[in-house]
Amino acid sequence: MLIQTPGKGLYDELFDQNNQIRPHCKILEDWLANSDESLIADKRREADVLFQRLGITFNVYGEDQGADRLIPFDLIPRVISSSDWQKLQAGLRQRVQALNRFLFDIYHGYDIVRAGVISAEQVFSNPQYQPGMQDLKLPRNLYAHIAGIDLIRHNDGDFYVLEDNLRCPSGVSYMLENRRMMMRLFPHLFAHSPVAPIDHYPNLLSETLRAASLKPNPTVVVLTPGRFNSAYFEHAFLARQMGVELVEGADLFVHQNKVFMKTTIGPQQVDVIYRRIDDDFLDPLAGNPDSMIGVPGLYAAYRTGNVVLTNAMGTGVADDKSIYPYVPDMIRFYLDEEPILKNVPTWQCRKEKDLQYVLDHLPELVVKEAQGAGGFGMLIGPMASKEELSTFRSLLKARPQDYIAQPTLSLSTCPTFVNEGVAPRHLDLRPFVLSGKKIQMVPGGLTRVALKEGSLVVNSSQGGGTKDTWVMEDDLC
Amino acid sequence: MLSRAASSLFWMARYLERAESQARLLDVSLTMALIDVPEDRIEQLSVPLLVSGTREVFFEYYDDITPQNLIDFLLLDDRHPASVFNIIRSARDNALHVRGNLSADVWESINQAWLELKELQKKGVTESNASSVFDWVRERSHMFRGAAYGTLLRNDAFHFLRLGTFIERADTTARVLDIRHVMAMKAMEEQATRAFFEWTAVLHSLAAFEAYQNTYGHNLEPMNVAELLILKPDVPRSLHGCLKEISSLLERIESGSAKRSRRLASSLYANIHFGDRDFIEERGLNAYLVDFLDRIQGIAGQIQKDYMGWQQ
Repeated sequence: MLIQTPGKGLYDELFDQNNQIRPHCKILEDWLANSDESLIADKRREADVLFQRLGITFNVYGEDQGADRLIPFDLIPRVISSSDWQKLQAGLRQRVQALNRFLFDIYHGYDIVRAGVISAEQVFSNPQYQPGMQDLKLPRNLYAHIAGIDLIRHNDGDFYVLEDNLRCPSGVSYMLENRRMMMRLFPHLFAHSPVAPIDHYPNLLSETLRAASLKPNPTVVVLTPGRFNSAYFEHAFLARQMGVELVEGADLFVHQNKVFMKTTIGPQQVDVIYRRIDDDFLDPLAGNPDSMIGVPGLYAAYRTGNVVLTNAMGTGVADDKSIYPYVPDMIRFYLDEEPILKNVPTWQCRKEKDLQYVLDHLPELVVKEAQGAGGFGMLIGPMASKEELSTFRSLLKARPQDYIAQPTLSLSTCPTFVNEGVAPRHLDLRPFVLSGKKIQMVPGGLTRVALKEGSLVVNSSQGGGTKDTWVMEDDLC
Repeated sequence: MLSRAASSLFWMARYLERAESQARLLDVSLTMALIDVPEDRIEQLSVPLLVSGTREVFFEYYDDITPQNLIDFLLLDDRHPASVFNIIRSARDNALHVRGNLSADVWESINQAWLELKELQKKGVTESNASSVFDWVRERSHMFRGAAYGTLLRNDAFHFLRLGTFIERADTTARVLDIRHVMAMKAMEEQATRAFFEWTAVLHSLAAFEAYQNTYGHNLEPMNVAELLILKPDVPRSLHGCLKEISSLLERIESGSAKRSRRLASSLYANIHFGDRDFIEERGLNAYLVDFLDRIQGIAGQIQKDYMGWQQ
């Protein structure tokens, strides 16, 4: 099979700069050499059929439900060496620990603000900040029980954190299903290779959710906005894997500040809600009054301590792009350690000096909305037209506090099956970090890949695909 | 379990059972229409419309009852809820709702049926390939049942699912028997050969032909058919068999307080269990079945009220 060589000056996950397969990826060498394209095309079709049948689809709002879309699945895995993973894992633990300390702090003593590390304005005027969470005592002082941390590998070979997702990070079901699919399609690849298993994620998640409550045997539920939500498959998948009820807002009610679900034998109290609904829609009495997917009175029950929400309310402050630049400082401030994982250098347009720099160097930079998500509302300088650049100039001048800017990083690539054959495409990585009695994760994460040549946008809502992610347990094999 | 989940499981199973019955019924009616004299064809073709209660809706879309119109209307027409297309869509919708309570095998069997049905709809069904489509529907229903039997935990989720199956089945058996019985009796007065076919149609519509031969031999007697389909507990689609399952399922379902649906089901079950053919004959089959339909619908409504219709 012909594989296009990686671009000059880019880091490729599979091939080194001499186009040799990296030592920890050797297991793929024979496979890639001996697979012809027709076999791979057959396997791809088989994967599509299986994903359809399993219903691993991605709903798009406004489309007929008969038109469930598949997220393109790429057959060539992305392989991470054992030593890289060790470092990533340590860095992720450290980062999530600091983020949870930060969240506790900004709703309690405000030490970090008092110490002048982050300005009061940036914390307290953040639209995601929930004043109602102040002084609220949460079990184990945990806020972000489930975190999804987006990482990229730059051409210097190092991983950089791109974004922390601390609200309702999704995608873990694809991580698990991609692995199942690979094992089904290419069992021989796994027979003799030390690929670290990941299928115990639902067990770890269940452990984490139960640890979110101090009750000895808490009743846990997964709360979904319903089957039209783009991540509904994942909500149902996780509930089933954990053996807990998948509930919608209408299945719950609040009585005397306790949350109950409507069961066939009457009301049953709920202790932990793994909610996949945003803060604002959780309770029409406290947030958006038009919310039909929430539970009236939930917020009051939560404040009384009768129910635990995972993740907590108000965690969005800490994953905001305007707070992101401070995470390394948080690690130093709360843990007294040096950050293990790098941040991408970030200019905060709210600062006059930074804004000036950004305006001067706009064609080289990536500009993002501090509140944006899904790859929307951003400017990729080197690819932008004159009009786009000038639009962003005026946007930046009008509301500088809404934007941050970063250098255009060259995301690493990995050979990927595309219409043109097998060619290098850019990718990122989202490992999932669970915080309960301890911080745990499975070795791996969701690898998202941009399918268009040169594109840096990997989001599934914009046509990105996914790959299986292999963490090798032993690099020597 | 969640009330909403119980309701979705119940309806999911009802719909799948309904799809199977409808396919059987259509198959038999189209075959009978071929055998029958031209003037009685319409009557044969009307049976599936009468059983599903869609005769009026049919005439909103079509001018006459022809085999092709009937196939179009009851199989793939997505403009009304009684087509197999929409019945399976509803089953799949409900399955999606309770995916958390289903095994992967059960979910996949339903989802796959829906995916294949969408392809079928694109290709279209004609008189010449209709039989293979009926076979397909029956096979999908068997597969669903097999997956449910083979992979689901025997908890309330399973019980509600089975309840849906048997409520739907009891309802269908009573309707089919009621409608086809009248036609068969009429035929008896006219011609013995035709009457024979009419009675076999009753049995084929309810997958009980072999069961009849096993029990009574070849001689088709009206009251034997009625007895088989009402009183014989070992016939899968008999009213006795269904009620036995319904009342025992209701006993097994976890119950918060005394439930009215249990009482209603047990009482109807006792009536059939201790009933005999003389009583049915005296009462008149039609009157007996009308009363039965009334009561089974009452039980279905009460089940919804007791377990699924949640008033806080």
